[in-house]
Amino acid sequence: MIEILSEQLEWLDVYYWFYIFNDLSLFYIFIPFFVLELIRYAYLKKLNKNLVLDSVANIFTLGLYLLIEFALGLLAITKLYYLIYQNFSLPHLEINWITIIACVILADFAYYWEHRMMHRIGIGWASHTVHHSSPHYNMSVAFRFGPLDGILPILFSSLLVMLGFTPFLVILSVLFVLTFQTLLHTEIIGKITKPLEYIFNTPSHHRAHHGSNRQYWDKNYGGIFIIWDRILGTFEPEKEKVVYGISEPLNSINPIVVFFHGISRFYKKLKGIKGIQNKLLAFVKPPDWLPK
Amino acid sequence: MKNSTLVFRSLAIVVIILGSLWLITDAYQDAGYNYQSDNIITENQDSVKEKTIPPKPNIDFTITGKWKVAYNDESFKGVIVYEIKKKGNSFHANIFEYQDEEGNTQKAEDDKVLTIKSFDGIKGKGMYMIVFEEDEYRVKCNIDVLDENTFKLSYDYYGYSDTEIWKRL
Repeated sequence: MIEILSEQLEWLDVYYWFYIFNDLSLFYIFIPFFVLELIRYAYLKKLNKNLVLDSVANIFTLGLYLLIEFALGLLAITKLYYLIYQNFSLPHLEINWITIIACVILADFAYYWEHRMMHRIGIGWASHTVHHSSPHYNMSVAFRFGPLDGILPILFSSLLVMLGFTPFLVILSVLFVLTFQTLLHTEIIGKITKPLEYIFNTPSHHRAHHGSNRQYWDKNYGGIFIIWDRILGTFEPEKEKVVYGISEPLNSINPIVVFFHGISRFYKKLKGIKGIQNKLLAFVKPPDWLPK
Repeated sequence: MKNSTLVFRSLAIVVIILGSLWLITDAYQDAGYNYQSDNIITENQDSVKEKTIPPKPNIDFTITGKWKVAYNDESFKGVIVYEIKKKGNSFHANIFEYQDEEGNTQKAEDDKVLTIKSFDGIKGKGMYMIVFEEDEYRVKCNIDVLDENTFKLSYDYYGYSDTEIWKRL
């Protein structure tokens, strides 16, 4: 068993396995599931213009997000990763099942912290609030991204490269976590059996994460595993009916407004803050922070 | 939760995951070492069992040392001399020197091209570095001992397959 897990793997094989889950799942999971959700909305007589246009806006933000990712990400992030890998990394780890599993688990733990950061610092929330601003909850919301959602998390994923994991494996593992996370954006699946709910992040846990109800704020940051939240004190089970959205509702389906509203609100907040030091502190202090 | 608790628990999580990774890797290396000795068949085993078990490993076969391989490719015609050394529980082959068709020799830069991860004296498995259109690929390979001074190295990488005959110098 250990021999199989430790056997060095070929890159092309590893890439194909991730490709099947990360990339192709759009066709065999997300699109069919979204169609199923639309049918459900229609059956419940909840399918309306606002929901459809909100979903369109979600996909539009994905386009803008990918534009930024491709412009900055593919050029700068991979170079940054390789720079770290070549100069500031622990002994390099070879590619086998053990390192892949370890990298995915650590990528998930890094996701927990980057997600927590996106909620708990001003500039992070200015971007990530886009994802939470929809009053609906379905697969399309998973693709509702803010301008910096792909950039700030590099702070944490680059630590994985420092631990000796190959940058390419880190990128694939991070995408794996994000793909799993995407699956959670549905109301169709209720609660799952307790052992799974205890260990894994589930649609129920993530619905609570998207809640604007006070008790759900800043809870359930996990990607694949919910145990990180249990260990680090941010777990909250879904009990009260979840009201989706943010405390200060956006009330817009205009994709441009949706995509930039967090940055726009943050800019207005900065304008109201006096002193350079306080303005800088607003970037890293919690979103509701104001100078005394 | 206090910040110090958060830091402590987070570090503990990373240490446990990374520690497990290294422990399992070490366990594999130990298992690989034992695997070789497990394959040596004792004389006390009955004949029925001997029919179902693999051939007895040639424990006298020494794979370390210098080996030469003749090539007649478009990219290189001549002989490459490799040197195989044992490192830990695996064997590593580095290029020692190049010899062209006219017998001119050139020392190599000691590039590692082959890692034999398991070898029982008859058969082995490892990773071999091949160059295709100036790109390097690490591919799985098999080692088969043909006689005491020759072994065959073969690989099949998505349909691109080849066999090399390594002769002892």
